[in-house]
Amino acid sequence: MRLRSLTAFTLGAALVAGPAAPAQRPSWRLPIEVKTLPNGLTIVVSEDHSLPTVGVSVVYRVGMRLEPKGRTGFAHLFEHMMFQGTPVAPKGVFDRVIQGGGGLNNGSTRYDFTNYIESAPVSALEPILWLEADRLKALDFSPQNLKNQQEVVKEEIRVNVKNQPYGTFWLDLPAAAYSRWENNHDGYGSFEDLDHADLKDVQTFHSTYYAPSNAVLGIAGDVKPAEVFALVEKYFGGIPGKPKPALPDLKEPLNTTEFRQVKTDALARVPAVAVGWKMPARGSRDHAPAAVLSELLIGGDASRIYLGLVKGKELLLNASGGLNFPLGGAWDYDGQTLFSLFSLYKPNADADKVLAAIDEIIAAVASQGITPAELERTKTKMLADFYSDLEIPLSRADALAKAQALWGSAAQLNEIPKLIEGVTVEDLKRVAATYLTRPNRTVIDYHTAAAKP
Amino acid sequence: MTFTRHALTLLLATSALALSAASEEKPLPKDLPPYGADRPIPPLNIIQRTLPNGLTVWIVNRPGFPKIASYLAVRGGNAYDPADRQGLTGLMAGLLNEGTATRTSKQIAEELQAIGGELNAFASPDAVFVHGACLGNGLPTLINLLADVTRHPSFPEQEVELAKANTLQGLLAQEAQPAFKANRAFQAALFGPHPYRFASITPDVVKAATPQALRALHASRFQPKQALLVISGDVQEAATLKVITAAFGDWNATGEAPKPLAEAPASSAHQFLLIPRPGSVQSTLRVGRPAVSATHPDYIPMQLANVILGGSFGSRIVKNIREDKGYTYSPGARAAGLQAGGSYMVRADVRTDVTAASLMEIFYEMDRMGTTTVGEAELQSAKRYMGGTYLFQNQMLRALTGTLATYWVNGQKPEALSEFIPKVNAVKAEEVRRIGRTYFAAKDQTIVVVGDEGKAKAELEQFGPVQVQKN
Repeated sequence: MRLRSLTAFTLGAALVAGPAAPAQRPSWRLPIEVKTLPNGLTIVVSEDHSLPTVGVSVVYRVGMRLEPKGRTGFAHLFEHMMFQGTPVAPKGVFDRVIQGGGGLNNGSTRYDFTNYIESAPVSALEPILWLEADRLKALDFSPQNLKNQQEVVKEEIRVNVKNQPYGTFWLDLPAAAYSRWENNHDGYGSFEDLDHADLKDVQTFHSTYYAPSNAVLGIAGDVKPAEVFALVEKYFGGIPGKPKPALPDLKEPLNTTEFRQVKTDALARVPAVAVGWKMPARGSRDHAPAAVLSELLIGGDASRIYLGLVKGKELLLNASGGLNFPLGGAWDYDGQTLFSLFSLYKPNADADKVLAAIDEIIAAVASQGITPAELERTKTKMLADFYSDLEIPLSRADALAKAQALWGSAAQLNEIPKLIEGVTVEDLKRVAATYLTRPNRTVIDYHTAAAKP
Repeated sequence: MTFTRHALTLLLATSALALSAASEEKPLPKDLPPYGADRPIPPLNIIQRTLPNGLTVWIVNRPGFPKIASYLAVRGGNAYDPADRQGLTGLMAGLLNEGTATRTSKQIAEELQAIGGELNAFASPDAVFVHGACLGNGLPTLINLLADVTRHPSFPEQEVELAKANTLQGLLAQEAQPAFKANRAFQAALFGPHPYRFASITPDVVKAATPQALRALHASRFQPKQALLVISGDVQEAATLKVITAAFGDWNATGEAPKPLAEAPASSAHQFLLIPRPGSVQSTLRVGRPAVSATHPDYIPMQLANVILGGSFGSRIVKNIREDKGYTYSPGARAAGLQAGGSYMVRADVRTDVTAASLMEIFYEMDRMGTTTVGEAELQSAKRYMGGTYLFQNQMLRALTGTLATYWVNGQKPEALSEFIPKVNAVKAEEVRRIGRTYFAAKDQTIVVVGDEGKAKAELEQFGPVQVQKN
């Protein structure tokens, strides 16, 4: 999402067969090997020799809501600085070596992590590891590079937010729903804060958060774990260990009063509504039920909101949303997150009608539950999408590194199908009734300028 | 029935860029390890069959992943519609899933969900594509659903009305997007009256659409002789063919083949078009011209030249206006090849006060491609990048399947998959320069800018007359 460049990779596999699953859903498991170096760097390897390619993902445990107070947007600006060269490999070397090796690279900043990804023919693995180790050691803290990327980031915010209708919805919802600064501040950054960032901030941020103990290196593809561990040891082993920075407290109770706001969007031509509910924490008893509920409600053309509001009542032009939408998926966050929905609505609709229809759908699930057949279909689709997200080495490396960084266990990735399987109708009823309530709801209604009173 | 079997091999450039040989650039860090030796790429087996009714079937067996991808392609896309109904094909494609003689849209959606599946139909200028995917054990269901929506769509009255209402509202929403306005103006300026000018259906065409017209259009286009089905994944040839034959074997729709399109224009006027967008904080730039078809001999050299000029992160335009000047976040460029023509386009969104400065740099980089010869290191790196990204994309089943379907639409054989990289590697530096001279010269480009009229117009007038287009 908040990518270094707009060319987003489509993240999507040889998996090995595992134990049989119920309901005729194929069961697959990734081979996973994990090692932690004495300096604290954890490495996760998943081998697959079907094609001579490799995917690499370095996940740092710092993100939009883990950045220090008073510096909005700094985690993301810093992500850009990671591509600006080092004392040993000046600006340009990184892209040149990876591109020359037939590879692609990118980076992105999310709420709970920042990731740096590469995909290449496996012949480029060793130089890629060298480059990743090099920029973990030190950066070229030059004023020109900082100035350049301050401008680039401002252009990024212009193209994605300021010059787009509803461009702010993913920032508006957390801003209104949460009370803690960590959760509710603008993680893309105010122009004022971005302009005030200085080299000292960049240096401090690097030395605080870019420590081996705060990083996970995921590698998947045509590799042997022992060989990878030896290579990583060679290039990263000499980097001094540092303490893992403390994570801020993100915990907040559910909201007790509905928040509603009307915003006028000067660029929009049709109205839209964004709705968010605070949801359970990652790994809690309600997490997997919330993920299945999200799929049930808004997972696609067979989902209840699509069939009820795009079809059915014909109030919405489209329906997009989900758990941890739009900056991530149901499994790659930590702490709590929102279940968010964003839709353009039609001339015959208004926010009240849309909310009433959604409430009706939620109430039906909370009170009557769903049929076993619908639950099975929903789980099957979730599993199919879960596998798709692990199709290629790059997405496996990234998913494994994220699981290690956020869940504390890369092996947890193989347990997610079981978490999905375990969800019952009673779980869905409980989670719908607990979280998808009116008091816990945040609503932003985007009107067009013409509709302004 | 014909039967052929080809071993297709994707090859990379034979040797990696020698890290120390990049003479025209700064030396690389002395400790940087060299690239390793390339490993061979396993051959990809593609089974090609033609059913007695004329349907072409390609099956790619790629074991190791528990999902299946399919693409059905039917000749005749939006460019084949009459001028006053352009885009009707896209509307028709979007409605294939919305009801058949025996299934409602809800039934289709739920049957797909039960196999972890999806089916999405859309139209390109040249063809209609129906993409499908599902878990490995859902193949028979997927094929049956695909056959049903392909052969027996009913275009129910209520679904057509809903699709029309949503398309109209969607068009209104799109008018707020600078990229939408820019692309529409750019296509029109490049292709004039040729049907490749099509960028989007218009409200008038939507309003005039009826279930009868959509049914007639479907009947005229959807014939097995004009269609291809590609299936990829962990599939067995015999079982897959059996399911396909059962579902499609008695499809006997016949009719005329779509009339080939006239060749698209080869050039466009050098002009500056400004599309006002009140409130814009950026200028959305498009710089380009008509170029070549996907099967033209210049197409692959142009793709390579594009990697060097603007089509990759390490390209000249990105280095210049992003990494050096900081004018933009997401500059890019692409060469798009269709059946009867193509286009080249550089794009960037830049803050308004650097509109002229950004265009100056883009023009400079475009001209430089024809006035100087690319160095060996930069050329090798671009080749390597093209090979790597081709391999990267086609490791995904959906992309591989779609690449094959597009080859078929363009009249190419599946062997094109293995010929692509060797053709890229054979391109010489002089040829890149010729491509630059022939297609990238700034004086031959059409420039479209969407932005703040007051400020952007003054910026553009530094180059000459500006035509303001309110669209």
